[in-house]
Parts: sequence; structure tokens; C-alpha cells
Amino acid sequence: MIQLTDVSKSYGSEKTVHALSHIDLTIAPGERVAVMGPSGSGKSTLLNLVCGLDEPTSGSVKVEGVELSGLTDDARTRLRREKIGMIFQTFNLLPTLTAGENVALPLRLQGEHKHEAERRAVAMLERVGLKDRAVHRPDELSGGERQRVAIARAVIFRPPLLLGDEPTGNLDSVTGEEILRLLDDLHSEYNNTLLLVTHNVQAAGHCDRIVSLHDGQIVRDERIEQGLAEIR
Amino acid sequence: MYPALWHVTSRQWKSHRLRVALTTLGIALGVAVFFAVRTANATLLDSLTLTVERLAGKSTLEVTAGETGFPEQILETVRSTPGVQIAEPVIEVIANTGFEDEGNLLIMGVDTTGDQQLREYQFDRSQTQISDPLVYLAQPNSILLSQSFAERHGLRIGDALPLFTSHGRKDFTVQGLFKPVGIGEVFGGNIAVMDVYSAQVVFGRGRNFDRIDLVNSPDTPVETVQQRLRERLPSGLETVRPQVRGQALENAVTAMRVGMLVTSFISLLVGVYIIFNSFTIAVNQRWKEIGILRAVGVERRNISGMFLGEALVMGAIGSLIGIAGGYYLAALASKVMNSIAASIFGVISTPQPLQLHSNLVLTSFALGVACSLAGAWFPARAASLLDPALALHNVEARQQESVLGWARVTLGGGLLLLCSLLIQLSPARVGMTLQFAYAALMLLGLTIVLPKLVQWAALALRPLMDFAGGSEGALAVDAMIQSPRRISATVGALMVGLMFVFSTGAYIQSYRRMIDRWTSRLLNADLFVATSTLLRSTTYHFSEELGQRIAALPEVKRVDNVRFTLIPFQGDTAAVAAVEMDGFLERAGGAIEDGNEKTARELLPRGEGVLISKNFSTRWKIGAGGRVHLNTPARALDLPVLGLVEDYRSDKGTIFLDRALYKKYWDDDAVDFVEISLKPGGNATAVKGEIEKLTSGSEHALVYTNAEFRNWISGLVDQFFVLDDMQLVVAVLVALVGIVNTLIISVSERRREFGILRAVGGLRSQIRKLVLLEAVAISIVGVLVGAVAALFNIQFMSHTVSMVLTGYAVPFYFPWTLVFCTLPVVVAASLLAAWLPARHAMEVQVIEAIGYE
Repeated sequence: MIQLTDVSKSYGSEKTVHALSHIDLTIAPGERVAVMGPSGSGKSTLLNLVCGLDEPTSGSVKVEGVELSGLTDDARTRLRREKIGMIFQTFNLLPTLTAGENVALPLRLQGEHKHEAERRAVAMLERVGLKDRAVHRPDELSGGERQRVAIARAVIFRPPLLLGDEPTGNLDSVTGEEILRLLDDLHSEYNNTLLLVTHNVQAAGHCDRIVSLHDGQIVRDERIEQGLAEIR
Repeated sequence: MYPALWHVTSRQWKSHRLRVALTTLGIALGVAVFFAVRTANATLLDSLTLTVERLAGKSTLEVTAGETGFPEQILETVRSTPGVQIAEPVIEVIANTGFEDEGNLLIMGVDTTGDQQLREYQFDRSQTQISDPLVYLAQPNSILLSQSFAERHGLRIGDALPLFTSHGRKDFTVQGLFKPVGIGEVFGGNIAVMDVYSAQVVFGRGRNFDRIDLVNSPDTPVETVQQRLRERLPSGLETVRPQVRGQALENAVTAMRVGMLVTSFISLLVGVYIIFNSFTIAVNQRWKEIGILRAVGVERRNISGMFLGEALVMGAIGSLIGIAGGYYLAALASKVMNSIAASIFGVISTPQPLQLHSNLVLTSFALGVACSLAGAWFPARAASLLDPALALHNVEARQQESVLGWARVTLGGGLLLLCSLLIQLSPARVGMTLQFAYAALMLLGLTIVLPKLVQWAALALRPLMDFAGGSEGALAVDAMIQSPRRISATVGALMVGLMFVFSTGAYIQSYRRMIDRWTSRLLNADLFVATSTLLRSTTYHFSEELGQRIAALPEVKRVDNVRFTLIPFQGDTAAVAAVEMDGFLERAGGAIEDGNEKTARELLPRGEGVLISKNFSTRWKIGAGGRVHLNTPARALDLPVLGLVEDYRSDKGTIFLDRALYKKYWDDDAVDFVEISLKPGGNATAVKGEIEKLTSGSEHALVYTNAEFRNWISGLVDQFFVLDDMQLVVAVLVALVGIVNTLIISVSERRREFGILRAVGGLRSQIRKLVLLEAVAISIVGVLVGAVAALFNIQFMSHTVSMVLTGYAVPFYFPWTLVFCTLPVVVAASLLAAWLPARHAMEVQVIEAIGYE
């Protein structure tokens, strides 16, 4: 599903910062992987490279067998909207649109008719338990509800790959747990691959595998039982 | 506290340079137009004051009788009045010279012996040995000329100056040249002086004077002399201060000045919307910063003070730039206003260098700052009311728009209804300030309902945008439907500009239609002969002998002489059309309204009644069956009103009476128009040629066929509206600058939104298309809302403004064609305005943008 081969990413010209250094990582379809590490370890950079928002300085990033570095910006965007759903810590909903319209947005960007897109959006909101909130705008929703809307938006087009950047980072522990359970449910339903960047051990506990980064390098890559025990 | 907050603000300015620059530019533009118009206005008024002062000389009072003049015996009565030290007769004629491409010349007929006591003449004695050229004026056909006019035409003392007189073209001998000081400064030197008694003869004044200028003796107050003269002189004569004449000149250009002023206020208003838009965006952007400031102990009033302080500085900088730019713009505005004033007065106005009036600088500066503060007021208040706990949350936590409740719509709608009622029900003389307050009320109502109007317009537009623009088109309008207030400031700027464009266009169209109806009903002779390229000359007239010569032509059935002049009426003036009633009724009898046509046909030719124009009726509240009391130079005349006619020759209103009656009471047989009816089968074009041959080299006569005459009047109307056309252009430009400005600001500040769209799969091209389509949607909504606003403003202009400026209301007319023609222009301008921001939007770096709060 995801294959990173000898990937490095550096920033700056005079004083170069090596965000990632010679990373090799393979994630199988349907696998749930948590990427953990301290601030500045390169977690978000890794995520941005996988979703095609950023390009590596060297090395190869493949998603579903497609080499991203050979793609144009538009091709990467198409790949993102057809194959990759994204969930952010700060939700990133459009404040002027209602929950339903936010969820329908990826479909409409794909050219889906408004009524059909919104019908599917309402169905997805029902799936995440927010059917009654479809006509509310983000400022009228709680943090947990907003993240549910963001998840609904990320999965509405059934992407094979779901990327989460600290999805529970802005939520209290109870709400965070609800969100993680929702992600579990969706995973068992759609069997998508999940790549989760998190500081949160509780969140990592919902994954099959933990990859730990430090100073831009993978320092540990273990199955969940072993990994969690080490971290704890 | 404030220095620390200023530090925060200055950092914001650095990172949002484009927004700050465009906002300041918005204020600068408004102030520039305002300052330019006011400076040009002040310069024109200076010029008028100088003209009046130079023409009046030392006079403290003037005796006049409107345009008709009065018998010369009045001079003796004035001179014998106790307290009058000097009294000199004057005849003023604006005469056409025989030179091509030369404006008219103001001829002053004065008494050669006494006038130097009143007015300053400085003669150029280098070309003559004559000690006092004024004395030599008594010789027939002598004239004194301004040095500047003489130099322009290479004239020297002893040369001939050709002039068209009432008795044809005559050559006058230049007896002296006066320098460009005193009277020589007037009308750019287009002035000549001749003997008053010669002027009587050559310009068909009979034994009349136009005016007596007088000086009171030092021991008698002016008021006392004025009172004595009022008691001693016939009722048709007025004794007034020379300044009143200045007032009359000012009044003649009031419509132009008011029009220009309205344009400048529109520019300022657009500036207010630009500031509002910019500060609303700034408050949204700085949501978190406000939360932090509040959290660290900054009080609410300091938050609003911070934004208002920012507005104050922007307003001050924008105003200074505007004043500097406005000074240069004023030169252009002044040129335009002088040229229009010249066409109104018949001679070029006395040119004055542009003056930098300190009070205007201060007023413009204060207005610019006030507009900036007004625009920033509501966003600053909203910022101060933010809940700090909420403000520290993420962007989605921001409360979006308050509900556009029906209470708000009802309030706005109520204001619009109230304003409509006030416009319809209040009398024309309620006062211009109050009437403009109605317009302000209307604008307030429109501003309150604007978000709802935007929402409705966007809803109406959605199917079209969905069909034509696909998902991006629908997305563009959906944002407007969901958040109409976000774009209300942009649409508001467009609305104000377009409202003015549409309503002025409607007014012009309606006026033109009205004039067409009038000319087809009342002006139906086969041929017309006129004295001036303007509708008439106030001072140059034909003699009746011209009509006799034309009547002798074989194809001519009938000739009617018409005198059209202004007379004093109830402390103001009114127009008199002295027509040969039997001929007038034969051609235009069907045009009589509100009266008994049979009685009118019987009494009017006998001089036992008058017709009045509808605007006269409205102005003086006299209808059919009422009476008009006229103070003629001979004696008072009281006549019944036998009917109303539609006539727009004068904004003062017109009284139609029989020419014989006029001649008897005003002792004036001058002719302004000759109307000619042809025998059946007569060829108008051929007869026109014969009349031109007949008048060639003798009269300055302009001959028109009926169609040409009506076209000519249409042309005059067009000329009258040249300024309005210019105002339209200015309003369109201001509206476009408004939309360009607000669009660039709006789009450049929405990086995060575009970042999210890109993150969830929006292609770069889709982002660009979205921004461009949103600009299209905003412009279409702006045109729709502008048209709705125009519905109210047209009512205001066609009723109130028209009544104030012309004395009559024009019918309501909605300019559909103009609206449809404006639409592509505005859409194209919006696309152009949005092109660069759209490019920037598509190049947004997603990672940076979505982390941007």
C-alpha cells in the first residue's frame, strides 16, 4: 500500500535541517500504523510526503504502487482525492459551510452533483452519528462533533488510505476515545489502511503497529503489543 | 497600553502589506475625488465672485427688471432719489463675433462720461495718443476691446471688429484697448465696451436699459437707498445688491455642482465599504491574537481602540495621499466645470488658478478619517465583544454570521418604505439637506437588508452557476448563500456605485423621453429660426423685420414671432413665452390640459388670460382657474390661468401669453424665435435654404427644419447631461475600483480556505476557477442588488432631485438596457480583478496554509 525507500527530506539551504533521513518503510493494505515520536522527529513530514503534499529531497514514495515523485501536482491531487482521506488535529473544516456541505466537499470537487453529494454526505454523517447536525455550521458543533465531521469528510469517497495527523490532539480523553473507536469501526467496515501520526499512546493502542521516529530516523518498528509495552 | 497594541498592529501591517495598501488606497480614492470636486467647485465660485465684483465695480446696488429691461426714464428717477450718489445705465449683450472658432463676446454698453466713476478701466496707451478712449465711444460704431482678445485676433486700434447685431452683421471700430485688470479680467478677456445708447440701437433695446448700477452717498446707508428706490420705482423693477447677481450665476450652475458633489460622496461611501471589508477580514484573521490579548489583560475598549487607531492612521495616510492626488485631479475637474459653466453663461468663465483652500484640505482630511473610522466601527466593536475563551479555540469555533432574522429585514424594509413615503409625500421645497437625509435613510435601509438581498440573489443565481460553472460554480455561490455577510461589503461597494449609475441613467432616459413628448406636441412649426446655438440668447435678439422678410417668401403660409425671457416673479424669476396666440393655438391647441379649451381659444388671443407650464404650476402652486399677478415695467397685470401645457424650456416654469399683450406691458418687441408654417406642399429644406440666404451676413440666425430643431433640442439635452455622463463614468470607475479592491483583499486573505480545498482534493485549476467564478457571482449579485437599490434611488432622483433642480418631476423609468449593458462590463472587470488573486490562490502551499490561523 505504502512504500518509502531511502527517503530523505531536508529544509533550508544555508542551515539545512534534516527532517527525515534515509527512511525505509512499507505498510501493507489494511494495516493500521501509528507513527510516534517527540516534536521535531519528522512525523508530520512523513505524513505530508505520503499524501503528496510535500516531495522528498531524495528517495521514493509509492502509494498503491504509484511513484509520487514522478507525478505532477495535479496528478498527486487526484490521487489524494481518489485514494487518500485526511484527518487533521485542527479539523480544518470550512467555517462557512454546514457539516453536510463540508462532508460533501470532496465529492463535489470530483464533479458529483450537489444533491447526490449531499445525500451521500447525510448518509455518512448518519454513519458517524451526526445525522441531526447536517445543517449546522462548524461553530455550532462541539470539538468531538467537528472531528466526526472531518472523519466523515475523509472517508466519504471510501479511500483505501486514511491519514490522521493527531486526530485526538484537540479533544478531551473521553471524546478522543470515541473518535478512536469510530476509526476502529470504519476500519473494520472499509478495511482501509490507516497511518496515524500521534503523541498519544492511547491512540497508538488502536493500531496494529508502531513506528517510532527520532531526529528523522526510524528508531523502532514493532507490532503493537511489543511496541506499547516498550513505550509504557 | 496603546503603544504596545500599536506594536502588535504594526507587525500585522508588515505581514499584510497588500491589504493595508489597498485599504489605504480605497480611502485615498474617495478623498481624492471629493477634494478635486470641492476644489474645482471653489475655484469656479471664486471665478464667479471675481466676475461679479469686476462687473459691478464700486456699485452698491443694481436696479433690474429681469431680462426684459426697463424704460430709460427710470434713470432720472433713480438719480433724483435722495442718497444716490452715482447712477449709471448698463446694457449687457452676449454677442457673436464674426471670427470663426471664437467664443462669444460680452458687450457692455455704458455711459461714456460717467462709467469710470464705477468701474476700473486701465487703457493700453502705447498705441494711441487719445487721453480718454471712453470719450471716443460716443462716436457711432466705436468699441473698446480687451487687450487679450485683440491680441488673439491681431486687432489694433482703428481696426474693424465684426459683430452680429439685431440689425445684421456690423463692423465696429476699435477705439482703445484695456489691460487685463479690473473689467479686463472678466471672462478671460472676452469683453468689449461700447456706448450705451449705441448699444440700444444696434442690439434692439429700443429706449430701454438692462440695468442701472448705483453707489449710495456716504451719509446714507445702502438699506435706506434700497428702500427709497423700492418705493419710488414701478413694481416690475427690483433693487438688489450686486452680490445677488453672483447668487444668480451660482444658481445657474447649481445642478452641475450638486451632481459633482453627489459623485464625490459616492466615492467616499465606496471607501467606507472598502474599510469595512478590510477590517472585517482583519478581525477574522486576528481572532486568536485578540483572544490572547484579552487573556493577558487587554480590556475590551482597548481592543476596539486598537482597531479604530489602525483605522485612524490608515484614514490619515489615505486622506493625505487623496488630497495630494485630488489637487492634480482638480485641474481636470475644474476644466470640465469651467467648460460647462461657459456653455451655461454663453461666454467662457473668468479663469482662475486652482486655489488650495486650507478649509477644504482640513474638511477632506477630516472626512477621510471619519469615513475610515465609520467603516472600521462595526468590525472593531465585534472584535471587542469576542469571548476570549472562544477566541483561543480553533478557527472552526469562530462564531459565524448572526442569523439574518426577519427582524433585521423588517427594520431595513421599514426604513426603505419610510423613505419612499417621505420622497413621495414631502413637498419639493422641504430643503435639500432634509431631502438628502432621505437618501441617507434609504442607504441605511439598503445596507441593513443587504446580506438578505445577497442571499436571495445568490439563491436565484445558483442554478445558473451550477449549470455554467459545474461544481466550482455551485460551490462559489453556496459560500455566498451560507455566509452572505462575508461578501456584503464587496457587494455594498458595487451596489452604491451601480445604484448611482443606474439611477442617473434612468433619470437621463426619462428626461429625454419627456423632452421628446414635449417637442412633438408643442414645437410643430415647419421651420424655426433661433438666435443662439444654445436654446436662446439672453441678450441677442432679432427684430420683427426679420419675420416680415421671411413671410414674403412664396412658400411661407404664416410666420410667428416668439419672445422668450425671464421676468421677476414673487421674489424669484419665471419665464415668459410671448407668442402669437392664434397661431400657437392653431398648431398646439390640443396640448392644453386642465382647462376649458374653448374658453382658452377665445380669451388667449385677446390677451385676457394665460397658459402656464406644468412645472410653473407645481412650483407656484397655481392651477387652471387660478390667477397670475405680474409686475410689468408699465404696471401690474393680473390674469386668469386658462390651462396647463407641458413645456420644459425653463426650470423656473413658463407663462404663455399673447405677444401683443407682452409688447404693450413690457415695451419690448424683440424676437427670440421665428416659427414658420409652410403652405401645403411647401418644401422645408428649400425654404430653409432661402432663409439662410436671406439672413446671411446680416443676422446671426440659425435655421432648422422641424426634425432638425427637435434633434437640436435633443442635442442640447445631451449637452446638458454631458456632466451626468461623466459622472456615470466616474461612478462606474469608482464601483470597479471598489470591487477590484475588495476582491483582491478578500481573496488574498483566504489562503487557509484554499489550503483546505487543496488538501481534500481540489486541483489548482479548480481553485482558480472557483475564485474566478466567485468573482463572477459577486459581480452578478452586485448588479442585481445595485438594480434593486436603483429602484429606490430612481424614485428619489425622478421625484425629489428633479423637483429641486428643475421644478418638475420626471416619470419613473427603469433602465433595463443600461443594467444589461453594465453586467458584462462589471463581470469582465471582476474577472480581471480576480485574475491575479486567483493565481495566488492556486499557488497556495497546502501545508503552510492549513497551519495558518
